[in-house]
Amino acid sequence: MSPILEARELSKWYGQVIAVNKVSFSVGAGVIGLLGPNGAGKSTLMKLITGQLRPSQGEITLLGERIWNNYPLFHRIGFCPEQDSFYERMTGAEFLAALLRMHGYDEKDVRQRVDIALETVNLKEARDKKIAAYSKGMRQRIKMAQAVAHDPQVLILDEPLAGMDPIGRHETIRVVREWGKAGKCVVVSSHILHEIEAMTQNILLIHNGQVLAEGDVHQIRSLIDKHPHNIYIRCSEPRRLAELLVGFSDVESIRFNTDGKVLTVESRQPDEFYERLPELLLRHEIELEEITSPDDNLQAVFHYLVK
Amino acid sequence: MHASFSLVKAWRDVRTIAFLTLDTLFWSKKTIFVAIISILILGMSVLGRLIMAYRWISVPFTAAQVFATLMSTAVIHFLVVFVTLFYGTALISDEVEGKTLTYLFVRPIPKPTIMVGKCLALIWISVMLVLPTIVLSYFILYLRADMTQFMEDVNLLAKDMGIVFLALLAYGSFFALIGAWLKHPILAGLIYAFGWEGIVSYLPGFTRKLTITHYIQSIFPHQDSSTALAMLIGQRTDSVEAVITLVLLAAFFLATASLILREREYVLEQ
Amino acid sequence: MPIYDLGYRHWSGAWTSHPYRWWVITRQGIQLLVHKKRFTALLLLSLIPFLVRSVMLYLSSAVGRNIPLLQINAKFFEDFLSQQMFFVFIIATYAGAGLVANDLKANALQIYLSKPITRQDYLMGKLGVLVFFLTLPTLVPAVLLYLLAILFQTNLSYFRDNPWVLASIVGYSLAIIFTYSLIMLALSSLTRSSRFAGISFAAVFLFSQILYGILSGILRTSKVAWVSLGNNLTQVGDFLFRGTAHFGSPTWLSAVILLALMAGSAWVVHNRVKAVEVVS
Repeated sequence: MSPILEARELSKWYGQVIAVNKVSFSVGAGVIGLLGPNGAGKSTLMKLITGQLRPSQGEITLLGERIWNNYPLFHRIGFCPEQDSFYERMTGAEFLAALLRMHGYDEKDVRQRVDIALETVNLKEARDKKIAAYSKGMRQRIKMAQAVAHDPQVLILDEPLAGMDPIGRHETIRVVREWGKAGKCVVVSSHILHEIEAMTQNILLIHNGQVLAEGDVHQIRSLIDKHPHNIYIRCSEPRRLAELLVGFSDVESIRFNTDGKVLTVESRQPDEFYERLPELLLRHEIELEEITSPDDNLQAVFHYLVK
Repeated sequence: MHASFSLVKAWRDVRTIAFLTLDTLFWSKKTIFVAIISILILGMSVLGRLIMAYRWISVPFTAAQVFATLMSTAVIHFLVVFVTLFYGTALISDEVEGKTLTYLFVRPIPKPTIMVGKCLALIWISVMLVLPTIVLSYFILYLRADMTQFMEDVNLLAKDMGIVFLALLAYGSFFALIGAWLKHPILAGLIYAFGWEGIVSYLPGFTRKLTITHYIQSIFPHQDSSTALAMLIGQRTDSVEAVITLVLLAAFFLATASLILREREYVLEQ
Repeated sequence: MPIYDLGYRHWSGAWTSHPYRWWVITRQGIQLLVHKKRFTALLLLSLIPFLVRSVMLYLSSAVGRNIPLLQINAKFFEDFLSQQMFFVFIIATYAGAGLVANDLKANALQIYLSKPITRQDYLMGKLGVLVFFLTLPTLVPAVLLYLLAILFQTNLSYFRDNPWVLASIVGYSLAIIFTYSLIMLALSSLTRSSRFAGISFAAVFLFSQILYGILSGILRTSKVAWVSLGNNLTQVGDFLFRGTAHFGSPTWLSAVILLALMAGSAWVVHNRVKAVEVVS
């Protein structure tokens, strides 16, 4: 089966700065997560995919056709941009209708599609409210609505969960998964690993404008697990907790900070460690004040991968 | 068959973009600004009428003279330039600054069509704001019990409105072009309109033809100081040639603006 | 091997004394603009009239003391400053349109005013940026021209007999600089869009000039010159350089209008710059 979206040796630079560097990938139907820290080149890649930027070198095709200035292709693309920008004085329904008219639908179709799109993102009640009066989450949802209103085959969502409340996030994650199951090609970007994990298992890791890894999220997870994981714990009885932890095989080492109030645990199986810890604390009545892990983030994954 | 279908679609797209742009332009602070300028010009007409009515000065002058001065200095060299400069440079800059250009660029509409639609909206809103100011000024200055002068000069008013329309078209498309092209279009527009045009239009030789104002002055039906000076040094272009040049200039500016929009990458700063 | 403390460290240097805190804002504003190539080019372009007049000074001393065009007197300096007003207008628009408007747009006022600076410090700082850049095409080259004129002359009797010329140069330059700076700053504080501020600035100057054109055309008199901002400056310049007034309007009226405009602009900008806007 031919891929829906394909990049070959794709590069984009702004003057002396390389934003995307010789990236090659191919994407079929389903959801793919574009994962990378801020400044990795995700947004530039998304702009190349949506034809807002012209490749400096290489090629990017959608459904076998080049994208830059290929207007008919935009019937099949829906794009939810990262920036929080709108025609503020329009209502949600007016905004969607104005953009749908650009696809050539007649007024009856426009009305129907506006209703469906608003229902999809759960914004029907706010349809006649001015966008300027929308909350952050509502603005994010109306942005999603304009991307899906014309029922595109390919959806490009740039940081779609940014600014959403937990319910909105849950709802968006569900919808994105449904679109993937329905056979659409959904490219969704984020710099937060668990957000992507909630939507798809299939990810493309991007760092410094280059693709670092492509494939199943579990493989990435296992990469994390292969490296010792640092966990900082501040509690009422740090030395007693250390005594209890030292017996477990996944704990590699335990260190105390200079004042002895914080202990740093090094573990090779952080998931098991986190599962076990609450029960241990409860059973021995140790009061937990703070628990953090500098390694449990995407930056750490990239650090491992580039090492 | 296919060509006619494309034309229908292109017109529909132009109209869609024009309505969207019109809505955003009209409900912006720019309109208040333009309205203030228009009111000030109407105020000048009222002042002119009062001076005429109460004969504050010994030198006699007619409504036609005041109207001609008003048209030349306040309307064509000020109102028209400011309205088109303000709205024209905003056509793309506002979308870039507001980061809404993305919504237009990911639609199945050719970028040149977007430019044409936006320019149509610009001309539309400019005409809506400028022409009533001229008509009202004419009424303020000419309306009296004896309507003879009013009726006699009505053809001048019609000509003026035609010239202003052409001026809006030429300046509008020019400022739309620099708006699509430059990062600081306002400053460039001000330098052009009040620097370059001010100096070059009175120079001898071909250089004077490198301004829009020269062609407008060439078809200006009234006698005022600037046109009189231009005539004195024999710099008028033939009326038909001037009209054709203005239309061609507008078409050229619009085509170039469309080309720039098509080829340029607009980086919307985060 | 030395061990470095990588944690937060308090500033151990000397604090700037409060009366100079506005300078931090001015300095930053100047640094931002001088790094813009177009702006630097504009500043250089504004010095062309200075170069032309320097050549005139040389020619005057070398060959043409009797040629009217090369006469070095108060009018020579007044004309130079009046000619520079076009550059003053462009530089003020470029440098000033976004000075407050961009801060309003980015909600940066809250950040500024959460630092140990007052509203006055902020305004002084912003005004300082404009004053600095408007001094470059006006006061600085005019004073340099004055010094060059003294250096090139073999007979210094004119300058000995008219010591007030230097004071006039300074006075007229400051009148131009502060009129343009304060009006620009006020307009910049009235909007979040630098484009809007820039175009409003142009409109204020040009509309007043057009109004004068129409009124003087109808009334056949220059007594209405006071309606034009530019004409008011010219009138004040004529007075300071002890020249014949260009217009029939009283000079004191022009001075009062300019002072009122400056005061009004200062009032507007002072009232517009607030950390938090309370909407009732």
